[in-house]
Amino acid sequence: MTTADSVLVRPRALAVGGLGTLRRHPLILVLAVMVLVFQVSTGSFLDPANLRGIATDAATLAIVAVPLALLVISGYLDLSVGSTLALGGLVAGWLAGQGQSPVLAVLGGLAAGAAVGAVNGVLCCYFGLSAFIVTLGMLTAVRGLAQQLFPLPLSGFGPGFAWLGGSRIAGIAAPVVIAALVLVAGALFLALTPAGRHVFAIGVNREAAYLSGISIRRTPFALFVVTGVAAALAGSIKASVLDSAVGGTSGAGFELTVLTAVLLGGVALSGGSGSVLGVLLGVLFLGSLQNGLTLLDVPTFWQQMAQGTALVAGAALAHFAPRSAR
Amino acid sequence: MTTSPFAGTAASRRQFLAWSGTALALGAAGCSAPGGSAASSGQKAAAAKGSAEPLTKVGLDYPFTQLPLYATLVKLSTAAAKKHGVSLLTTSDGSIPDTQATNLNTWVARKTPAIVSFPMVFEATEAIAKAALDAGLIWVTYGGTMEHQSADIRFSFREGGALLGEAAAKWALENLGGKGKIAFLTDSTIELGRERTKGMIDAFTKLAPGVDVVAQEQAIDPDTGLTKTKAILAKHPDLNLVLGVTDASAYGGFKALEQTGRAKDDAKTFVGGQDGAAPSLIAIKQGTFYRASAALAPQDIANAIVDVPLAVAAGKANPGVEVPIALVGRQDTVKIDALLAQNG
Repeated sequence: MTTADSVLVRPRALAVGGLGTLRRHPLILVLAVMVLVFQVSTGSFLDPANLRGIATDAATLAIVAVPLALLVISGYLDLSVGSTLALGGLVAGWLAGQGQSPVLAVLGGLAAGAAVGAVNGVLCCYFGLSAFIVTLGMLTAVRGLAQQLFPLPLSGFGPGFAWLGGSRIAGIAAPVVIAALVLVAGALFLALTPAGRHVFAIGVNREAAYLSGISIRRTPFALFVVTGVAAALAGSIKASVLDSAVGGTSGAGFELTVLTAVLLGGVALSGGSGSVLGVLLGVLFLGSLQNGLTLLDVPTFWQQMAQGTALVAGAALAHFAPRSAR
Repeated sequence: MTTSPFAGTAASRRQFLAWSGTALALGAAGCSAPGGSAASSGQKAAAAKGSAEPLTKVGLDYPFTQLPLYATLVKLSTAAAKKHGVSLLTTSDGSIPDTQATNLNTWVARKTPAIVSFPMVFEATEAIAKAALDAGLIWVTYGGTMEHQSADIRFSFREGGALLGEAAAKWALENLGGKGKIAFLTDSTIELGRERTKGMIDAFTKLAPGVDVVAQEQAIDPDTGLTKTKAILAKHPDLNLVLGVTDASAYGGFKALEQTGRAKDDAKTFVGGQDGAAPSLIAIKQGTFYRASAALAPQDIANAIVDVPLAVAAGKANPGVEVPIALVGRQDTVKIDALLAQNG
């Protein structure tokens, strides 16, 4: 069965089954070995407090990685998420600092993210410009805008706004709950909705999708907007957790981290293939690696080398996995 | 009938280019100051006359444009320059050494009469500084000393680190009986960071040798400070001290401790950083366990950025300055208020 056939019949996101899942997502095995090594070496990796820390840190990554993965599956890309994260966090924090209600503050941040996503979407989907170039340009432009609007660090957003990053829902940190909802929504969207199937179809062959009657502009445009909103939500959460936000440094380099998580999760950069489970694995892999190396007291430059090597190994594993996994 | 988006692409692009051209033209018109071209040619003529003329322009090349200090320095330096009838130019290096070199070469070629530069790589900037001096320009080195320069603006980054390390050690001796656990959030990527890190660690470990150093992690921003400190806390939940190479990273550590349930004013916890960043100063003022910051006064730096090149132009002897770094703690409310006012 070809990739296109599989899209028409059933998206890969639906694929289940123990061994089959392992074959499709070899990162599960790598993650399991890594966790085992870290636990044996440090004795504290699997401590509930540490796992909570990893989950909370990985939450913002997952919130952005899911919509970005859908965008990549549809054949597009968004490199501006780091700057959008900063802008969203700054707008939300500023509004909260001005005495606005936390809900309104977060909505303001999300609106800023939606605006960035809409600009990306219009330029890429309706004018047909290269998503790589457009979003790379927006990465710089939005960062400049954030610094121009908020040249000085913002802090002291108030206890109401702190709820977003610091509260617990049924004993679980709010950002983790939000990330779980995003993951479930992303998986259900891909698996159960016609638009989810269109995402794969557009990514496999845009012209064929168009000739099949699929709206090849509206769906990716919506994904650009959702990605912008998700980045702004992640920025708001980070601003809430830190009770501060800095225009020049918030979210710097985040775009590469989130793209790495997406690609490690088996999403094809060329589009048409990928799953939310893979994205979750990619996010957990990055979060666990960073945490484990810190627990092991690995010196800085060795940490960088170990991270780079692990990423290449993970990518190679995904590449050489059975074709149906890609 | 519908039109294929593939067939319509060319027309859309033409429309887009037309709209973009109009928008750019309008933008350019909006950005131009009235009489801008006349002022520009006048300035060029003045610059071409050489250093015998009164100094009318100073170029500030501060590469770390992403740091909050950059915006503060530009604002305060512009105001300080205006008082002397001098206009301040700035570069946009984006923390990239190559871009910095290109911008500096452009300034030298354009004969910007005075350049104040914070070189990212001192050795690599020597040739540009020499070219500037050979062209009769004033070259002021910011943050260190170079072989080719007219003067310098120095900071004792190591001393700033040492001030923080000593204060933390003294606190550990008084409040923990010289025992406990400390984590350092460090920087080994640039000279400034290495100097601060060494000063901080050497001073602390010398004065409080009984405190167990449980981690030294690279972190200069709050997000990394938070993540690293959380991981350290998982292994050492009884961590007492976190010292940061920047206030930003230390603030991340402060938040990590808070989020693990540490009371904001916990008597057995000490967090300290360097820079005098606003969020940290506010936390210190509020009486939290963020207890100290080795702070630079932005106004002092801004004054030096203008005064030193003016002093060189006036032919004063030893025009260079060393900008002091002061440790601020909970009791220094007046100093904190002054720093917060300077920060915006």
